[in-house]
Amino acid sequence: MQDLLYFIQQLINGLTIGSAYALIAIGYTMVYGIIGMINFAHGEVYMIGAYTALITITGLATLGVAWLPLVLLIALICAVIVASSMGWAVERIAYRPVRGRHRLIPLISAIGMSIFLQNYVHLAQGSRNMGFPLLIEGGFRFGAEDSFQTSISYMQITIFITTLICMTALSLFIARSRTGRACRAVSQDLGMSNLLGIDTNKIIAATFVIGAALAAVAGLLLGMYYGSIDPLFGFIAGLKAFTAAVLGGIGSIPGAMLGGLILGVSESMTSGYLSGEYKDVVSFGLLILILLFKPTGLLGKPEVEKI
Amino acid sequence: MNTSVKKLVAGIGASIALMGAGSAFAEIKIGIAGPMTGPVAQYGDMQFSGARMAIEQINSNGGVMGESLVAVELDDVCDPKQAVTVANRMVNDGVRFVIGHLCSSSTQPASDIYEDEGILMITPASTSPDITERGYELIFRTIGLDSMQGPVAGEYLASLNPERVAVIHDKQQYGEGIATAVRDTLLENDVEVPMFEGITAGSKDFSSLVTKLRDAGVDYVYYGGYHPELGLILRQARQANLDAVFMGPEGVGNKDINTIAGEAAEGLLVTLPPAFDEKAENQELVKAFEDKDEDPSGPFVLTSYTAVQLVAEGIEQAGSTDPFEVAEALRSNTYSTPIGTVEYDERGDMKSFEFVVYEWHSDGSKTPVN
Repeated sequence: MQDLLYFIQQLINGLTIGSAYALIAIGYTMVYGIIGMINFAHGEVYMIGAYTALITITGLATLGVAWLPLVLLIALICAVIVASSMGWAVERIAYRPVRGRHRLIPLISAIGMSIFLQNYVHLAQGSRNMGFPLLIEGGFRFGAEDSFQTSISYMQITIFITTLICMTALSLFIARSRTGRACRAVSQDLGMSNLLGIDTNKIIAATFVIGAALAAVAGLLLGMYYGSIDPLFGFIAGLKAFTAAVLGGIGSIPGAMLGGLILGVSESMTSGYLSGEYKDVVSFGLLILILLFKPTGLLGKPEVEKI
Repeated sequence: MNTSVKKLVAGIGASIALMGAGSAFAEIKIGIAGPMTGPVAQYGDMQFSGARMAIEQINSNGGVMGESLVAVELDDVCDPKQAVTVANRMVNDGVRFVIGHLCSSSTQPASDIYEDEGILMITPASTSPDITERGYELIFRTIGLDSMQGPVAGEYLASLNPERVAVIHDKQQYGEGIATAVRDTLLENDVEVPMFEGITAGSKDFSSLVTKLRDAGVDYVYYGGYHPELGLILRQARQANLDAVFMGPEGVGNKDINTIAGEAAEGLLVTLPPAFDEKAENQELVKAFEDKDEDPSGPFVLTSYTAVQLVAEGIEQAGSTDPFEVAEALRSNTYSTPIGTVEYDERGDMKSFEFVVYEWHSDGSKTPVN
């Protein structure tokens, strides 16, 4: 019984982290799906989302706004607005001018953008860790009082529910809306959609903005969950989310969700049953293994040569 | 380019070089290498403010052998790769005495370069025993060793009669070194250590680790590493209702842990060098810091001050700025400094250095417990 409770606890830990990875991974996978390019500055957009949220929360606290749902809503809106405009600006400055060139060129400008944003936050906010105030406390616990108890905190529940809402909204948006249909069309054939009257520039900018908005949501959630942020905050998370996107099949949105969850759970299970030292070894080992047998990732479509 | 222009350029070049050499006679360069930026920059602040104060005071008292000291400050971000670059720049800049580096993992590779290039280095903060273990001639420190700090922490934990103690570290030279010493001391005292494992420095999610600690039923947790990770572990442990007392080395003992952990930092145990700024004989110096609006209370402020003082006194005693002669002087004399009497052994370690156990509070203050 105790073993089972322990297992469930690690599963909850893993799913929490995994759903946040999935939110960030969407940004990688959508941009890749549409222009076949990796947006390496995406982790930084996520970090800036977290910083904006923290600054907003601190600002609201000094203004005396204390009603938690309102504080979180305003922080979320500010983070999404700042990160989305950042996503849009990044596309405009670093990608659009080099689109269509040799594929290494946008890659390098993406890395440059990432380094620029990281150092910009270093200078603007300092390099120290900044603590997030503890806003959502407490949770449910299961199991006998005197032995191991499985606990699920309200914070973890908030992360699950928010992720679920975002994912559902995104899926509906892609499947039903006009812009969503245009996104799918552009990802199938950019040149052809252009000929058929879709403003591809606008659609590409929209994917950057959507990805950035989701990353900002993840930034707020994970900032609160972990408790502190620093300018390098986006780098590791970005790397993990990128791995999740590749694992699930880059270019596929359900794949990013699945990849995020698998990565999160495999990390927490490794720390839980083996040792925290092997966490990254196992996750990245898993990535290599899956790519060996299924080079397009779990849910990725095999690359078809376009004629 | 024709020949006469070439000659002219060469001439100007040579005269600039001569001018540079000329000015070098009037001053002694003291390199200060430590993190000005990066996650542990606040320790670097301590180091720089201590060393600058010493240089300023020595200069206002007439300098060393009639020459004034000039600081050459470089930022190593506490990154081993950057530390090597910094060390090479020190060599290029003609620096012969370096105060630094701060993090053991930076000091280690940098000290190889200093030893090879004949530069005397005194680290005011690196506690890894490996640094002086290689028998280098020019490498000293003004701080104790992990092998001294670990046993103090281990003995203290053992004296509390714990049932089970988990030992966690960040897999870096400093953290793992101390954690190993703590574990060994605990095992010698027949304390059960059910967990000894590493985490990845820089990671943020410790929910799995905390779950594991809860499952292991430990009453104490020792963490070898720095405050960014321990702060998060404390916070996440509190949220998950882990009922255990945490303890860490001086790398976690600074006010930044309160910004991260908040209330959860209350009751944390920390081994620190004694508070040198509270000693009666240092009050004049403390006042000098306060007059400049600087905080003398950090663990590395006065160790850095002392390092500069030792270089100055060593040069005076050797009657030369040759690092080898200065090193010889440092090994054969006893010095009275703000951190107490300094006497070196063959390896460049201080013969005695004391650590004290403090209890940390959520407002960033601390009280000694033994």
